[in-house]
Amino acid sequence: MDFTFPKEYELFRRMVREFAENEVRPLAKKVDAEHRVPFETIKKAAKLGLMGVPFPRKYGGSGAGETGYCILMEELGKVCTSTATVIGAHTGIGAMAIYLDGTEEQKEKYLKPLASGEKIAAFALTEAQAGSDAAAIKTRAVRDGDYYVLNGSKCFITNGDIADIITVMAVTDPSLGARGGVTAFIVEKGFPGFSIGTLENKMGIRGSSTAELIFEDCRVPKENVLGQFGAGFITFMKTLDIGRASLAAACLGGAQAAMEGAMRWAAVRSQFGVPIAQKQSVHFAIADMATEIEALRSLVYRTAWLIDTGQPHVKEAAMCKVYGSEVASRCINRALQIFGGMGYSREFWVERAFRDARIAEIFEGTSEIQRIVIASNLFREMGLRISP
Amino acid sequence: MRIIVPIRQILDPRGFTVSPRHERIFINREEYIINPNDKNALEVALSLKDAGEAEVIVIAGGQARLDDALREAMAMGADAAYLLTDEVLAKTDAAGVAEALARGIEKIGDFDLIVVGQETLDTADAQLGPWLAEYLGVAQVGGVRQASISDGVLRVRRNWGAGYAEVEVALPALLTVASGANKPRYPHGGRIMAAYREWQVITWNSEDLGLTAADLAPLTQGRGRAFPPERTLGERLTGSPQDVAAELVQQLRLRRII
Amino acid sequence: MDFALTDEQRMFQKMFADFAEKEVKPIGEHTDHEEEPPLEVLQKAAMQGFMGALFPEECSGACLDFVSYVMLLEELAKADITTAMTISVHNGLAGKTILDFGSAEQREKYLEPMAFGEMIGAFALTEPAAGSDAAALESTALRDGGDYVLNGNKIWVSNGGIAGLFVVFAKTDPGAGARGISAFIVERDTPGFKVGRREKTLGLRGLTVTPLYMADCRVPAANLLGEEGKGFKIALQALDVARLSLSAIALGACQRALDEGVAFSIEHIQFGGPIALKQAIQNFVADSAAEIEGLRWLVYHTAWLAAQGEPFSHEAAIAKLLASEAAYRIANRMVQVHGGYGYMKEYAIERIYRDVRALPIIEGANEVLRFVIARDLYDQVGLKIRP
Ligand SMILES: Cc1cc2nc3c(=O)[nH]c(=O)nc-3n(C[C@H](O)[C@H](O)[C@H](O)COP(=O)(O)OP(=O)(O)OC[C@H]3O[C@@H](n4cnc5c(N)ncnc54)[C@H](O)[C@@H]3O)c2cc1C
Ligand SMILES: Cc1cc2nc3c(=O)[nH]c(=O)nc-3n(C[C@H](O)[C@H](O)[C@H](O)COP(=O)(O)OP(=O)(O)OC[C@H]3O[C@@H](n4cnc5c(N)ncnc54)[C@H](O)[C@@H]3O)c2cc1C
Repeated sequence: MDFTFPKEYELFRRMVREFAENEVRPLAKKVDAEHRVPFETIKKAAKLGLMGVPFPRKYGGSGAGETGYCILMEELGKVCTSTATVIGAHTGIGAMAIYLDGTEEQKEKYLKPLASGEKIAAFALTEAQAGSDAAAIKTRAVRDGDYYVLNGSKCFITNGDIADIITVMAVTDPSLGARGGVTAFIVEKGFPGFSIGTLENKMGIRGSSTAELIFEDCRVPKENVLGQFGAGFITFMKTLDIGRASLAAACLGGAQAAMEGAMRWAAVRSQFGVPIAQKQSVHFAIADMATEIEALRSLVYRTAWLIDTGQPHVKEAAMCKVYGSEVASRCINRALQIFGGMGYSREFWVERAFRDARIAEIFEGTSEIQRIVIASNLFREMGLRISP
Repeated sequence: MRIIVPIRQILDPRGFTVSPRHERIFINREEYIINPNDKNALEVALSLKDAGEAEVIVIAGGQARLDDALREAMAMGADAAYLLTDEVLAKTDAAGVAEALARGIEKIGDFDLIVVGQETLDTADAQLGPWLAEYLGVAQVGGVRQASISDGVLRVRRNWGAGYAEVEVALPALLTVASGANKPRYPHGGRIMAAYREWQVITWNSEDLGLTAADLAPLTQGRGRAFPPERTLGERLTGSPQDVAAELVQQLRLRRII
Repeated sequence: MDFALTDEQRMFQKMFADFAEKEVKPIGEHTDHEEEPPLEVLQKAAMQGFMGALFPEECSGACLDFVSYVMLLEELAKADITTAMTISVHNGLAGKTILDFGSAEQREKYLEPMAFGEMIGAFALTEPAAGSDAAALESTALRDGGDYVLNGNKIWVSNGGIAGLFVVFAKTDPGAGARGISAFIVERDTPGFKVGRREKTLGLRGLTVTPLYMADCRVPAANLLGEEGKGFKIALQALDVARLSLSAIALGACQRALDEGVAFSIEHIQFGGPIALKQAIQNFVADSAAEIEGLRWLVYHTAWLAAQGEPFSHEAAIAKLLASEAAYRIANRMVQVHGGYGYMKEYAIERIYRDVRALPIIEGANEVLRFVIARDLYDQVGLKIRP
């Protein structure tokens, strides 16, 4: 048992932290206010291998595994959740699906440019009537010679409008349902019949875009089937499991930054003749934050280790996601309170952090769905199947 | 073309505070980083590599922990790394390190250019560059900000009073790079992993360099530390803006500042 | 013990609800997106007497009792929290303070235009260095002949962008601490009085919260509110009303959030049926409903105390503490019930979530209210505690 990070991860963290401080932080307020994607950061990140951190070097990635990827997300989460979201949707779910289940040719053709950051990825599962119940998707894929023809639409797709390559889940055999009837496809933005619908106006992570995707007789070559035909559901579930750990890492960063920021503020803000840091209300808030953050850190990096060493991790990843998102929201909420009226001002980062944090309890599987995943895994261990 | 960049390490200044009052240095986090000015030197070398065919070799002498600095330099883009270390080298002083580095560079073989950071952030002695140039018998240009190569001629932009001078230098040569000359690149994520997992740092000891403990006996000796006098708090002026401004002007006059 | 509303109160409640539903609810989204104060609604509210809700008839007020007033704010907040806050600051913090402490001339001069909505009221206590510790305020008001000369800065003044009249607190005796504070009525166009750039806020985006800058601002001595040196007492009494009002607004916000969540959970289908069929959702709804039921009677009871002329300061602090935290909790749950939709500006719950986050901070941050509540208890046994 050794809980220290190997040296390469220490250096990696130092590099990412400096990158986040110097390149990402200066834009965080701006991209939120201007409601735009920080393309300039993406370009710089790509040059440093940060768009493909978990993937092996032979595919143009950094070869840093889930652990390295969690470090990246943690450091980005400290300064700009929007940037973490754009890179997260690209790496953690969009490209991840291709890495997990793509053929060698697909990896060559698609994963390489994605890992190097030349191209951007998105991951399209959710539909208007199929959010938590992903198995209820309606987008249809019908074979036509060497092609599949896709019809339907996806909603709430992060990076949807800026992505070059999108992994899409569609129904190939309605009679079989989720297990066997759903297939994953790799869609390029230039494929005929693919278009972008409305963009969402969101509470937070406004520096990331969320788009509706429309497939109208969209022709996808048959070699772009991702993973086994009919096994799309498994591809997507595997992908989301891994995404959840890194999402929690971003939450960890957000929570840590909120706590540190609140402490710095409490040390300089005086009321009643003393810094508010002298008050037990503040001590207890900080102590609770620190305790939760420490527990979360252990959970996140242990789960990353499970993933990197090829061990079962579904339950732990779900725990990461539910605990991480709730810890981040709680910590940022407490931090905002410590800032008093200042915390309510958009001049200040904590206001943005508060809006940004709220999404983590919702996307990539809501907290309720995570709890269902955790419980069903536990009950399955004792031989009982539960339904959501 | 082969470029050699010596790398030094310092204690991360963000990890300690100096307290003149207690005459002590408080170390909160003992972490060593590449001397920032050496990163400027490495950046000059790497930009020459970007512009054409060049091999960049980094070298360091002293304590074993320099290994991390060399791996970071490889992660930034250096192609090979040499570490000169053993018990004797770990204990020598700046002059001893310089001699060891010169021997090491000779042992590596032919080189076209040596690029050195002008000074270290901790002791601020600006000796390594001149020392190596002297030892290796090559021309030296100081205060360098940029370098480029065309048709085998090295063109260098260096500090010159308040401005710059462009000079041409025949190779082999040694450049000492001004601190803040450029914005050094970040190490690359994938190269960081490879630097520790795939690539080797070649390690030589004093014997490999033909140096004895006597050769490397420190010429300098630390006698103790002195701290600058503690800065006293300034005076705080209060009152209406008009009063404060008038008082400030008065005070500045009294002290003959204006 | 009689929990029934009077016939009059019931009638009022219906009238408030109609007004809120018809006139206020439709503008909520606009107020937020465009960050515009609800000026038209304020005019309509004035026609209904809501801009002089607590004023007597001779000042053209509606002369509402506190229970009815609280119901008014609750209904307004159900429709739009920003509008409710605007009207509450105007009526409670500014209007009621003038009514209670103003001279006959002041009441005559200001209350009628306020009731007609021609002059909106604001309340300027907080300063950069004096938030929770309001007694530490540094603005000064020094007597000079028939005037007071005001100097200093205020921040976080709700309605600052639209107010014609400000109740401003400043020290007439700068050496005397809280006992040196006096209250003034300052009109917007007084020379030396400047309203600063609007604060950009997380929510309540139509509230026009601004700083104020006073540089040799001359206010006639006739505009001193109450006696010299009694300003802090005035502020504390105003804050009691404000805390009661805020708890009513929080209550309305809780109810609206719950209503939005329930409606969504019925319409929204996942796993083959409305999500309302899932216990996770039912639990959210049940917990919220239980909290709201408790709060409603706490708020009404506090209002009833106020209506009886009984002390209600302690209860108002408790009501504000519980209601503001419940509002955040319930809005948070109901965002969750909405799933991804709860994060989108098209849905009212997104706005409610941002709006209610102000409530645990303003009119006494909750940590400070906890102190106030504990202090009241320890006071009874003669133990003095400090914030
Ligand atoms: C900003 C943003 C970005 C997104 N990015 C992507 C993306 O890149 N790709 C993608 O595919 N999707 C994306 N999504 C979609 C996201 O994953 C879904 O919003 C999420 O899965 C929830 O689905 P839903 O919104 O339809 O809510 P619903 O599933 O309708 O949930 C509504 C509520 O019901 C609860 N609920 C649902 N089922 C149950 C149950 N069985 N038991 C108990 N409670 C239940 C939920 O927890 C929630 O509280 C994004 C969403 C947002 C808001
Ligand atoms: C939207 C909005 C509208 C407002 N409108 C008005 C208005 O119309 N008029 C007006 O005068 N003001 C107004 N305010 C100001 C508001 O009342 C103050 O923000 C509030 O009193 C808190 O003061 P502060 O912001 O200076 O925080 P601080 O007093 O600095 O408090 C910071 C944190 O420290 C805590 N704290 C402070 N003292 C203690 C203690 N002794 N023990 C434990 N914890 C402590 C607080 O609870 C808080 O968490 C408004 C504020 C906002 C955000």
